[in-house]
Amino acid sequence: MIAYALRRLASLVVVMALVGICVFMLLHLAPGDPAAIIAGDNASPAQIAAIRKNLGLDDTIFVQFWRWATAVLSGDFGVSIFSNAPVGMLIMQRLEPTVSLTLATLLFAVPSALLLGVLSAWMVGTTIDRMAMAVSVLGFAAPTFVVGYVMIYVFAITLKWLPVQGYAPFANGIGDWARHLVLPALTLGLAYVALIARITRATMLDVLSEDYIRTAKAKGVETRSVLMKHALRNAGVPVVTVIGIGIALLIGGVVVTETVFNIPGIGRLVVDAISKRDYPIIQGVILVFSAVYVIINLLVDLSYTLIDPRIRY
Amino acid sequence: MKTTRRRFVQGGVAAATLISAPSIARAQSAPTAARTLKCVMQGDLRSFDPIWTTANITAYHGAMIYDMLFGVDADNKPQPQMVESFAPSDDRLSWTFKLRDGLKFSDGSPVTSADCIASMRRWAVRDSAGQHMFERVKDTSAKDDRTFVISLKERYPLILDAMAKPGTPDLFIMRKKDAETDPMQQIKEFVGSGPFIFNQDATKMGASYVYDRNPNYVPRKEAPSGLSGGKVVKLDRVIWDNIADEQTAMAALQAGEIDFMELPPLDLIDQLESDANITVEVLNPTGNVGFMRLNFLYPPFDNKKARQAMLYLVNQSDVMKSTFGSGKYWKKCDSLFGIGTSMENHENTEWFKEAPNIPKAQALFKEAGYDGRPVILLQASNFAFMNNAPQLVAQWLQQAGVNAQLATSDWGGVVTRRANREPPDKGGWNTFTTFSSTSNIASPINFIGHVANGDKSWFGWPKDETNEMLRDKWAKAEPDDRLAVAKEMQRNAWDFVPTVYMGQWTSPAAWRKNVKGFVKVPEIIPFWNVEKT
Repeated sequence: MIAYALRRLASLVVVMALVGICVFMLLHLAPGDPAAIIAGDNASPAQIAAIRKNLGLDDTIFVQFWRWATAVLSGDFGVSIFSNAPVGMLIMQRLEPTVSLTLATLLFAVPSALLLGVLSAWMVGTTIDRMAMAVSVLGFAAPTFVVGYVMIYVFAITLKWLPVQGYAPFANGIGDWARHLVLPALTLGLAYVALIARITRATMLDVLSEDYIRTAKAKGVETRSVLMKHALRNAGVPVVTVIGIGIALLIGGVVVTETVFNIPGIGRLVVDAISKRDYPIIQGVILVFSAVYVIINLLVDLSYTLIDPRIRY
Repeated sequence: MKTTRRRFVQGGVAAATLISAPSIARAQSAPTAARTLKCVMQGDLRSFDPIWTTANITAYHGAMIYDMLFGVDADNKPQPQMVESFAPSDDRLSWTFKLRDGLKFSDGSPVTSADCIASMRRWAVRDSAGQHMFERVKDTSAKDDRTFVISLKERYPLILDAMAKPGTPDLFIMRKKDAETDPMQQIKEFVGSGPFIFNQDATKMGASYVYDRNPNYVPRKEAPSGLSGGKVVKLDRVIWDNIADEQTAMAALQAGEIDFMELPPLDLIDQLESDANITVEVLNPTGNVGFMRLNFLYPPFDNKKARQAMLYLVNQSDVMKSTFGSGKYWKKCDSLFGIGTSMENHENTEWFKEAPNIPKAQALFKEAGYDGRPVILLQASNFAFMNNAPQLVAQWLQQAGVNAQLATSDWGGVVTRRANREPPDKGGWNTFTTFSSTSNIASPINFIGHVANGDKSWFGWPKDETNEMLRDKWAKAEPDDRLAVAKEMQRNAWDFVPTVYMGQWTSPAAWRKNVKGFVKVPEIIPFWNVEKT
């Protein structure tokens, strides 16, 4: 398994190189000129050209790529075109809110989804099953920003239980930190709950019709034990796969959720950077997101061996 | 070592203290909520150098931390600000300025003549009014630490207007070492002598920007008026929170999480106006003028008749309604220099009384020899006005028999493409839509869109010698004579048509009722004189 993990980690380098080339080329070939944005609406073409020269944007795309790639290889993501702040520092500043939101979402969504999926499968065809699936369809159908606004209206403006927006750093106290994360995590987690609950239900239904489940029931094994120990574990591989794939969904959702709830995370950072063509930030964030995504997939693959001992690498 | 319950509890307390230490330190140093104003401004403050970028939000930042030699008052007249006294020579070719006593930068160093001269020279490279002024400046020299002289090649009645103008880039006074930075590069330190200090330690880029009261700032004795008068700071801290989503910002204002919102969404403004805890008011009374710029290099708008056709084509009311709703915050605009400005006039505006007149526009396009080729309208999808207006104009052009085609991108794409001088079918363009502050448009010199000297002009590259002669005449005119020249200029402009106006609007701001004292200034939101009760 160690050899497999090392091979996968080595492939990470190739993936990151390809991502880097694609992102750089796409960004620089797409329309948009940060120099024109910096110079402002009243700037003359000559002023824009002078700013472009100072930023090194008038060099050929290959020269710019070489400059950026060599810097990245030495661990330097460059500086923001607009603020001059190092991209690495900006990403680090935004890491805590995004990681907090993602963890809070996972903590809420995964247990809720598993419970909902197992319950639906166990009580298939009943009102509870139908209600669970209705929640699941709603979770898929309702856009994140709509759910967010409804949550804000109900829980922040009307009931005044929770803050409308913002993020409180963990260092300011766990209570305030959690209060600011409840609504965003619920909003972001809804689609995730729907996704995992549906796949859990479908897989559980397959497993529950297996002979060994009938045998376990015939032997008088407790229902909870049949569901959680025998059935859920055997249904685990596809569920864990979906949880892993869902991380991409989560990353996409973070962008919207961070905007709606004004959480200064990485999603906001990249959206702001795209609108201003702040190339170094966009490139840096996409590289980090890609690395995270590849590593999560590796961890998911490795986790299969824990769920199903028959799987060997 | 054996872990006892007491030791475990002690460890827990120590860990909790360590984790919370930064917040305790912050809490001890942070001003109280009653002396802190939390604001949501028009956008994110991405750059801190108000000369390097002309983004409005950076000009606001500049007005917080830097001061100006002169500032316009509520009547748009230049008044001394950092300057204690000034005097022109008898022939008015030399102007002497003396700084107020006791002016200091926030690092403690005194403001000197050398700082002012270096700041002026850097500003003059980037600002159109500054460029116009410095084309006539022979020399700038420091007489002593508090006195400097500007020697001119010719009389220049606009000298104080240029130094006081509120439109970005403003003439903010920086330390000499900062002002000597290449104007095409950003300065690295942000130290001014203005009413606030930029607290970079407490600032979180992209999230919140923190300004603390400058204890060394010495305000003038006069009452505040526009950008002039006493900038008395009545708050300890102002925080600009970057809430990108306007619905969220509005909800935060209603919930009392923020105190001020610069640009609440106009379609929801009724909701705020009916909230007993919120004040809704226009802080920039002249607002903005929206316009469509025409490309003089290629057909059909290389022909005057086609450009005149555009004046008859546009229904300003429809354009304004599509973005700004009911008529409370917008009006139609036929004055080249905006409505409500000192240069407002109604010369040569027959088209305005007649428009929209699509058959007339169609006839003018025919006279211009329009041959059915595609007309490319650049459309910025991420700004409501720049998204809606081109759609309406495209529809009217099609009704007038013109093959109008929208080229849609975000604003970043538009600003890149509009610089392209190639033909429209090779990546160029025929029209783009944007807006400018009315106070900027009110001056034939300050607004780059009023320039018509071909290649050196703004995008669209109009060329008209009469226009340039009249701009020069306006710059040389004494204040009382300027309106007459402005009328001449407008008469000529609505004949050769460099730009098609779409209407003028104001944007109300909203704040909690316990916040008072906002001074009305075009193009800047000032936080001096503001207090929380």
